[in-house]
Amino acid sequence: MNRRMHLPTLRLDPQKKVAIQYGGRSYQGIEGDTIATLLYANGIRIFGRSLKYHRPRGLYSLDGECGNTLMEVDGIPNVRTESTPAKDGMIVKAQNVIGKTAEWDPMGFLDKFSWAMPAGFYYRTLHKPAAVWPVAARWIRKAAGLGVLAPDFEMKGRYDEIYPKADVCVIGGGPAGMSAALAAAQTGLRVVLLENRPWLGGFFDYRPAVYNENGTLYERARVLAEQVQQVDNIRVFTHTAAVGAYNNNLITAVQRCGGAASFDQRYVEIRAESVVVATGCIERPLLFENNERPGVMQVGCAHRLARTWGVLPGESAVFSIGHDLGLEAAVDLNDLGLKVLCVADVRQDGQKEALLSELEKRNIPVLKGWAVVEALGRKTANRVTLAPLNGTGSRRFDCDVLAASAGLTPLTGLLTLAQGKLRYDDHTGFFLPDKLPRGVHAAGRLLGFDDAFSVEASGHRAGLCAAADCGASSRREIQTADDRLASLPGPVRGSAWVPVSAEGKKSFICFDEDATLKHVRQAMAMGFDVPELIKRFTAAGTGPGQGGIAGHNLPLFVSQTGLSPAPDPKPTTVRSPLIPTYLAAYAGTRHDMSKRTPVHDSQLSAGGRMERIGVWNRARYFSEDRSCRLEVENVRNNVGVLDASTLGKFRIHGPDALKALERVYVGDMSKVSPGRIKYSAMCNEDGCLIDDGVIVERGENDYYLTASTGRAGETAEWFRYHTRYDGWNYHIVNLTDVFGVINLAGPRAREVLQAITDADVSNEAFPFTGYREFLLWSAVPARAMRLGFVGELSYELHVPSSYMQAVWDGIMDAGKGFGIRNFGLESQNILRLEKGHVIIGAESEQRTTLHDLGLGFLWHRHKPEAKTVGAAALRQTEEQKGRLKLVGFNMEDPSSPPPKDGSVIVDGTIRGYVCTARYSVSLKAVVGMALVEDSLAGVGSRLEIFEDDCNGNRLYAEVVKMPFYDPHGVRLRM
Amino acid sequence: MTIHQRRSPVSLPARPVKTEMRDGWTVVLEYADEGEGPWLIDLSHRSRFDIQDGAIDQMTPWGFSIPKVPLESVFQNGVLINRMNRTQASIWHLAGETPRLPPESAFTDVTEAALLIALVGKPVFSIIEKLTAMDLQDSRKAPPFLLQGPVVHVPCQVVVFKRSTEQSAVLWTCSRGYGHDMIHAVMDAGAEFGIRPAGENALSAVV
Repeated sequence: MNRRMHLPTLRLDPQKKVAIQYGGRSYQGIEGDTIATLLYANGIRIFGRSLKYHRPRGLYSLDGECGNTLMEVDGIPNVRTESTPAKDGMIVKAQNVIGKTAEWDPMGFLDKFSWAMPAGFYYRTLHKPAAVWPVAARWIRKAAGLGVLAPDFEMKGRYDEIYPKADVCVIGGGPAGMSAALAAAQTGLRVVLLENRPWLGGFFDYRPAVYNENGTLYERARVLAEQVQQVDNIRVFTHTAAVGAYNNNLITAVQRCGGAASFDQRYVEIRAESVVVATGCIERPLLFENNERPGVMQVGCAHRLARTWGVLPGESAVFSIGHDLGLEAAVDLNDLGLKVLCVADVRQDGQKEALLSELEKRNIPVLKGWAVVEALGRKTANRVTLAPLNGTGSRRFDCDVLAASAGLTPLTGLLTLAQGKLRYDDHTGFFLPDKLPRGVHAAGRLLGFDDAFSVEASGHRAGLCAAADCGASSRREIQTADDRLASLPGPVRGSAWVPVSAEGKKSFICFDEDATLKHVRQAMAMGFDVPELIKRFTAAGTGPGQGGIAGHNLPLFVSQTGLSPAPDPKPTTVRSPLIPTYLAAYAGTRHDMSKRTPVHDSQLSAGGRMERIGVWNRARYFSEDRSCRLEVENVRNNVGVLDASTLGKFRIHGPDALKALERVYVGDMSKVSPGRIKYSAMCNEDGCLIDDGVIVERGENDYYLTASTGRAGETAEWFRYHTRYDGWNYHIVNLTDVFGVINLAGPRAREVLQAITDADVSNEAFPFTGYREFLLWSAVPARAMRLGFVGELSYELHVPSSYMQAVWDGIMDAGKGFGIRNFGLESQNILRLEKGHVIIGAESEQRTTLHDLGLGFLWHRHKPEAKTVGAAALRQTEEQKGRLKLVGFNMEDPSSPPPKDGSVIVDGTIRGYVCTARYSVSLKAVVGMALVEDSLAGVGSRLEIFEDDCNGNRLYAEVVKMPFYDPHGVRLRM
Repeated sequence: MTIHQRRSPVSLPARPVKTEMRDGWTVVLEYADEGEGPWLIDLSHRSRFDIQDGAIDQMTPWGFSIPKVPLESVFQNGVLINRMNRTQASIWHLAGETPRLPPESAFTDVTEAALLIALVGKPVFSIIEKLTAMDLQDSRKAPPFLLQGPVVHVPCQVVVFKRSTEQSAVLWTCSRGYGHDMIHAVMDAGAEFGIRPAGENALSAVV
């Protein structure tokens, strides 16, 4: 490994070595290497194979602008090795190749059959006859693709998330971005600076060119970086790629960690008052035959490879460039030991004389108005052909590196995502921001500036403008910055479009999708004549490079053909994420937030099988027996205890509290009286049932009410929404978590309750539908309701949550002699089904009215004051025909298994569906409830039930009266 | 029978070394190996009240004034009062004698409703910015002040109690049921900063 370790621009720590595994061999590198630079330094030139043709692909950009160097790293496919730091022990594999490395791939023969894969191949081929496609698709998917991911793949690593705050967010840590950050920070604002690379410096960072009499560009970059780091109110995130921009300056980014930080990747979300985009430029690829052959790379890639990582890209090189950075790189790389044979510059004039002079001093010929037309070489480039843009003749050079670049193209993706409008600028050849939303500013090279001082001044001005958005800088300061910028060189002239005369069958406009100029021409010949359509038909720009390679050339090429109805070049749409981002990074820390009741642990220790019910964890079963026979029998015969703490609980108080109750409940709430509970329901404006619960009066204009678990989160807002214009003086407090609730149910429930309280809980003193407040063990206050949801003597004890565990334990202790045991949600479901009680959401859906459920009696239609929510609809639907009605049914065959919830009831067509059906332990029969059409709702009707896997064997049931169990309610009142 | 024993919604992952019984609660005053911070302190045993009234501006619970502007807070004699909106405020008792529930119907004791925790130490904001997108460092607001919004996607009331380069303190409440997962999330976010559970005594440094 022969590396230039003396260079002051290096970003390596020579004292620390790293080794990675590739193709069964170990390769040594230096800390600071990326995986790609480490492999390149070890002589690896082919990193992978292309998507369709399996062409060899190599290092091209170093910033991940194409998928050439995507590799599998430690089992994770599609890792961008150009920007992923090498870590000791990494195991790296080539992708889309049969074999250990990408050097030789038996599927490479597909390149010879590229003629068989024209534009729109997938849309046009192998569809007829249709039976061919499933077979073809399987083979195509085997032969193509990027990486392999098993369905049960589990992402390794630690993924974090962070929401830093900023007044000004600057994206891009180059000279413009740093200048913008410093300008904004000097006003005292909080500034966040995001930089994609692991260090600040941008296009100054690696260049030894003169900045001023005091130093070079890279030295200037370090000075600026030092200044930035010293300002407390600038927060720098390096190795952090901005991937999205949304309304109101919400910026999203992903930080990759190469060091000892506590995460592998971190999702970063910033809400800023103002944003400065200073993302600079990338190079626009030259279009020529075999322009993606390994050995062909961007000028900046070759230059940075040497200057940042100390790796010379090869032994001899030809440059085909369109900007002065190419000339500068040719001079510098030649001095570092790369033999530069020739420089072809697409520009006829406009080059910096000083650079031409330096090239001349080194006897490097410069061909103005020339460009490369072909790279030759079987696997890697070993010869190139140059030709004049306007004229005849050609020259060939044997070389192992071709540094090729048509010019520069600005990275405007974030501006577009932020809803900025771009227009093509003939002078710079850039898509420049034409109209930016408020609070978004652009700066630096992406505006066409090339002069170092202009770039910094542009950034400084943008930083002041951003500060002004926050009210922190003055117009005078901005005017001064404007004047300064005006006194410096403006945007430079861009390079001309390089005419492409060849057929273009291997001139790749998009490396990722193996899309060539020939494909674009084919697409246009078929009528896809605007870039957006061509992009979709050829897939150009839709690969993992996210349009980085194709994004500029495609619209320019289409425009140059003169065949497009939209003659002005228009960029294709970009979308976030701007760079490929792991879903794991978006998922972040994945804290699974759910609620636990105060007796969660004891439910678990009692054998409870917990399930997520909405936001809550609840015990559904307490045994493996899904029929819950023992639990149900115990409630029917002894006493069971259920944790019902998830019930919604509210206090509503104030002079107009009753009016609010009247408004949202369908019942006559004036009948709520001390010591009694009132059961009622809430409907929506359509008269459909949305909630039910009980209400008690605890004092003057002071009520306590319950809501179903699922509605607890919305209940307070429901009240407020439906009284928002009335100006009523009432208030509502959510007490859901204040009280735990124990449902003590069964014929021996009273005996258990009496054992823990001195209060008289006899049937006379505390009757059915009664409400009492008393102390348990003479110490713990309880609100007790006598209810009967499960069809037995039953109490709901509402106790302060902090006492809940102690009370629960005490009840279990007190109930030992009475056969007390837990019952879970499924047992409750069976018990209430036997009793014919409905559960909202189980026996109702969004179209089910109170009348449909047989609960019309709850509606008090003559309330004196309040207009009940849903009353009008209840009136209209009361006698409406064609509605589904709730019925109870028994299965005809007692040995039949219960039909699945949701099974449809058929009669040539669908006539309804089964809401809930279970085997009734108490009745020794399968019973259920269903919503059916009127014609099937009569007692004695026969229901034909279709299940999704019944194989044509229907189940049959008969409509019967409800409730199935204790029809006269004797057990509730015992 | 320990029927009088009240329980916090959470138990912190550390060994209590100093406790005291207070109104049925076992209050941990100090844990083993609390370190130098940052600290996570469970204050769920501290009394909290909801006050709602159309004439809230005229109310002076225990003689304390209620901030007039929503999202402003005041801390007086160990009582933190946070104005939530036009008609509502929350009251958190943090130090001193526990105040009794005033007789007016506007007050509701909501001590049991929520987890109340405090995060105290130097890197408080570095920890909490991993949990919420709310801006706790808004320089236009002077502590104490209230924010209402999601922390780890859970609706919370957050009070920036103290903000300085050396030591800051943030307190917040969320529904009691979320307590277990909230503690897990905070400890996980604070792990890289060396967060440790601390007893109530650690709060005295800032209250």
